[in-house]
Amino acid sequence: MIEVEALTKRYGSTTAVDGLTFTARPGTVTGFLGPNGAGKSTTMRVVVGLERPTSGSTRVDGRRYADLPAPLHAVGVMLDARSVHPGRTAYKHLLAMAQTHGIGKARVNEVIAQTGLEPAARRRAGTFSLGMGQRLGIAGALLGDPQTLILDEPVNGLDPDGVLWVRRLVRELAAEGRTVLLSSHLMHELALCADRVVIIGRGRLLADATVQDIVERTERAGAVRVRTTEPEALARELLATGAQVTPAEGGALQVRGASVDEVGTAARRCGATVLELATESGTLEEAYLQLTGDAVEYRTADTRGGAR
Amino acid sequence: MSATTMPRAARPAAGERSGGPTFGRVVAAEWTKLTSLRSPWWTALVTVVVAGAISYMSATASSVDPGFEPTHDLSTGLMLAQLGPLVLGVLYGAGEFRTGAFRTTFTLVPRRWPVLAAQAVVLTAFTLVLGVVTVAVCVAGVVPAAASRDMPLRLTEGETPGVMLGMVVLLLGMALLGLAFGALLRRTVPALVTALVVLVFLPVTLMMMSDPGTDANGMALPHSVTPAGAISVFTPGTGITLLTTSASSEGMPGTPDVGPVGGGLVVGAWVVLLLVVAGVRLRARDAR
Repeated sequence: MIEVEALTKRYGSTTAVDGLTFTARPGTVTGFLGPNGAGKSTTMRVVVGLERPTSGSTRVDGRRYADLPAPLHAVGVMLDARSVHPGRTAYKHLLAMAQTHGIGKARVNEVIAQTGLEPAARRRAGTFSLGMGQRLGIAGALLGDPQTLILDEPVNGLDPDGVLWVRRLVRELAAEGRTVLLSSHLMHELALCADRVVIIGRGRLLADATVQDIVERTERAGAVRVRTTEPEALARELLATGAQVTPAEGGALQVRGASVDEVGTAARRCGATVLELATESGTLEEAYLQLTGDAVEYRTADTRGGAR
Repeated sequence: MSATTMPRAARPAAGERSGGPTFGRVVAAEWTKLTSLRSPWWTALVTVVVAGAISYMSATASSVDPGFEPTHDLSTGLMLAQLGPLVLGVLYGAGEFRTGAFRTTFTLVPRRWPVLAAQAVVLTAFTLVLGVVTVAVCVAGVVPAAASRDMPLRLTEGETPGVMLGMVVLLLGMALLGLAFGALLRRTVPALVTALVVLVFLPVTLMMMSDPGTDANGMALPHSVTPAGAISVFTPGTGITLLTTSASSEGMPGTPDVGPVGGGLVVGAWVVLLLVVAGVRLRARDAR
């Protein structure tokens, strides 16, 4: 369990995190989403005691990180790939980590096997690809078999196999009752593996809800898309019934306040041939763009088509 | 997916299995970290080779002097070889920060200062072994010159054991001062430059400033302490220089005669002071 309470972190006059409150619960994958510079990494560094908060507090399993008797067993941490000395082999890096908590070599070899690092274990970390570096970071996080995992951008740089593997791994870890906090800028990635999403922008909390809730909140959700031979006639017909109609890309119409059935019936009334008719569902990506306040910029037809 | 995972209750609680980061464990981890890099082994090799080569050349060159005494050339190689442990210490002290590895280290040991203390312990062990090997190689370096004059090498007589001990302490002092500068400045090049200025350039400058000079007849003035000389003995660089002087020598002109033991105490005090400052800063500052 990770609790972040009214966390504020300032560097001089810059505020990186501004009154952030959220909780990552056991048995749940909590996605941590925000644009670059939103304060995700800063928040994670404060949680693991690398930086101290300007105000507010963070706790893991009810304790301050610095008060954990055995941090490696309580929290598995994977920050950016630059947390490894490039001159040390993956095996020695993990062994030195394990030694601080009296963990044996058998467990080191176990996490190396689990993360698919065997072929690279005796190579210096500086020679690793981004993907191998991520696997090494995840191996280090798993080393102490912790109840809580904090992973900063774990799928960044992984090949498709690796992405699938991370997705399955975090689902399994959560199914075992562990707390997983996972940051990503890949919104569809979070939609696939997170139960809850915490969205921040400029250090402030924008949303903290289940993926489903957030997607349903998008403005596209619940709308009906219809493409017809007589768009103008149909639009007039629908407006008369009290629905709202806006043009969508590809000559289609987006209709609110009317069901698919109602739109179909209206089309028959005005003699329009229906070419396409469907309810629309939003995506986490759209919800995110709307929440971060840059939505206006992205509401042009072509960008929106590309974002789907 | 849950079918492939063990039920949580079947596993022992993680914290009970092996406990947290005790000091002994942090020392073991730091030993692994130091010895798993290439740079310590390279600097150690260079130190031994340079020390041995210079003492051999120096002894061979002075073996033609009528007053040649082989043991006097034992420590000549350290003038240059002492830079080896200094570089070793700087690389070790700054390495974690230069590479970002400190993030991993400090999440494992949130109190942080035990890491610095463990680094000092590990570096001491490594450099003591290096020091003994270096002295042995220096002894081997003067053997041919002694043999060429049919002179015995009296290693256990007079002040020679003290000088050899001083050589080991000198190398250890340089390594630990390097560690402290590295830990304080956190970047390799600034730390190395600062260490060279303080430990090599400063003592030479102070030595020249503190010399009382000669009288009108060109005779050396009687031993008197000058202000620059008085300051000089309290600097780490002069302390290092004093370590391999023999206890019976008068000390450098214009400086109080504190001998090798006094020099060692000065070096030790600087090491402790700088490491404590670095340790306090580790606790107080954010590690970004």
